[in-house]
Amino acid sequence: MPDLIGNLGLGFATALTPMNLALCFLGCLVGTLIGVLPGVGPIATIAMLLPLTFKVEPTGALIMLAGIYYGAQYGGSTTAILINVPGEATAVVTCLDGHAMARKGQAGIALGIAALGSFFAGTVATLVIAAIGAPLTRLALLFGPAEYFGLMVLGLGLAIVLARGSVLKAIIMVLSGLLLSTVGTDLETGQERLTLGIADLSDGIDFAVLAMGVFGIAEILRNLENPEARAVVRGAIGRLLPSAADLRKAFGPIVRATGLGSVLGILPGNGAVLAPFASYTLEKKLARDPSRFGKGAIEGVAGPEAANNAGAQTAFIPLLTLGIPPNAVMALMVGAMTIHGVIPGPQVMTKSPTLFWGMVASMWIGNLMLLVINLPLIGLWVRLLKVPYRLMFTIILLFCCIGIYSINNNPWDVYFTAFFGLAGYLLIKFGLEPAPMLLGFVLGRLMEEKLRQALALSEGSFMTFVQRPVSAALLMIAAAIIVIAVLPAVRRGREEAFRE
Amino acid sequence: MRAENPRPSGSLAQLLRQQDFVGGLMGIGLAAFAFWQSADLPMGTLGGIGAGMLPKSLAVTLGLLSAALVLDALLAGGPTIDRWPIRGPLFVLGAVVAFGLTVRPLGLVVAGPLAILIGSLASSEVRWKETIVVGAVVTAACVGLFKFALGLPIPLAPWLIGY
Repeated sequence: MPDLIGNLGLGFATALTPMNLALCFLGCLVGTLIGVLPGVGPIATIAMLLPLTFKVEPTGALIMLAGIYYGAQYGGSTTAILINVPGEATAVVTCLDGHAMARKGQAGIALGIAALGSFFAGTVATLVIAAIGAPLTRLALLFGPAEYFGLMVLGLGLAIVLARGSVLKAIIMVLSGLLLSTVGTDLETGQERLTLGIADLSDGIDFAVLAMGVFGIAEILRNLENPEARAVVRGAIGRLLPSAADLRKAFGPIVRATGLGSVLGILPGNGAVLAPFASYTLEKKLARDPSRFGKGAIEGVAGPEAANNAGAQTAFIPLLTLGIPPNAVMALMVGAMTIHGVIPGPQVMTKSPTLFWGMVASMWIGNLMLLVINLPLIGLWVRLLKVPYRLMFTIILLFCCIGIYSINNNPWDVYFTAFFGLAGYLLIKFGLEPAPMLLGFVLGRLMEEKLRQALALSEGSFMTFVQRPVSAALLMIAAAIIVIAVLPAVRRGREEAFRE
Repeated sequence: MRAENPRPSGSLAQLLRQQDFVGGLMGIGLAAFAFWQSADLPMGTLGGIGAGMLPKSLAVTLGLLSAALVLDALLAGGPTIDRWPIRGPLFVLGAVVAFGLTVRPLGLVVAGPLAILIGSLASSEVRWKETIVVGAVVTAACVGLFKFALGLPIPLAPWLIGY
């Protein structure tokens, strides 16, 4: 406990320097600005804004990036509530009751409770990270290659189970992602693999490029096809601060959702994505009158938003303690950290404690800032959202191009983004969900490395994965959840859950 | 889900509208391509895995599972794709490629408006005057933001001012 306070003290001392505060503020602001654009989710936002952080020193850069992330999250909720366009899968739930509230003239309260709920969740999640970060790091140091491999298999297993649509399709997507990750020079033998002789592929496919194509460009194409789905709330925003009665109604859901989100976010394999859905279903089950849900129930906004933010934040735990990015956003964080010479993993906490704890503390400050800057700025976001989409998407497109080009100053990245944009569009058309593919891609290289190490240590015997108890347990859980997901009874329940 | 969809009557045109059928074919295509491209890479042994082991085994597994998806679509049917609009993808992707082609030689002052002009064609509600104004204003804002405020090394107009 004194450890915790000392560490957080160090963190706040780092995060509260004027420079870092300014970076955190700037990150939150531009993150919200871009995240508010319709159809631009946190992944596309971060990929677009990554170059902004290049000139800043590592701690400041990561603080700013975290700010961009929370800003993008909150911007996404704003878009979901005001114009019913989810920037990303997790905002879909907010659309249901948030937009219904907006149509009833309560847009302000929906936005206010989303901000308050997120802030509460963010505060708890920050404490969770600070409390279990250190013990988990010690645990991580005991992990050998076999255990790492097992953990990543479990992550992919979870991603498969959490994907919409059939398990078979999700496995296909994971395999495609793993296959894409093998493109580039083989780290161990130095041989070029699947590069088609293109020199710009010898370092492999840049994750930001893949993510921008699949989530940024493809999303524009999807939105262009459904122009009727967008309906900006024309009416008044109304007051922002929820009444005491609203707060009483929302408090329970926020607390429960924070717990749910914090736990799910820690799971490898993007458990955070499940958090808003889980919270929504839970609140609907607990409600005295479930029929209010979908028609503007404040619980249906407060819960999922809090869950989303808690999960978004505790997702940092696997990254910072084990070096395993649990989702696409965290993979972009890995990219940003590597650019600044920080290799994510258990050694970050011991080798650069100011960076680690500064980032943790800035998470809380970022959440506070969002509350402070967004509530007064909502009028601005509303005006921004009234720009017609026929103009908006060209601007988004240009931002995507500039952002991607600026990451490596390489036109090839721009071409590859167009290519993956087309691929992502085809995936939407074929009903294949890109998230498992992204995770497969993210974990692919590390998995291959650990697999090779583990098998080299065991002289080629796969028994090593079964003989070591931790890896055996992880692999068994992974196998079990996939088997359970394909059982007919569970499959029906899963389809129902996703239909909500 | 499945029950709402009619069973396929077998004609090729109808099959090609089935999500899972075409999606599975794409998976098989990707797998075959990857296998062909990695054919020359050594497999190695389990104790010393070669460069080709993973690409090849992943490609084979991907191919088999994609074939299963195709088979499932043939036997059980599934959701269909209603339309294939060309306009959106053509101009959006065209705009991105045009940006990539022009940003180095001609700079942001050309690549920016060009991307916005081409991109705007993707929507059926093009309004030329509006687009030109937006292209100019947004490019100017981007120049100010990315070049001057943030100092990114993106070329502005190398043919005019040398950087």
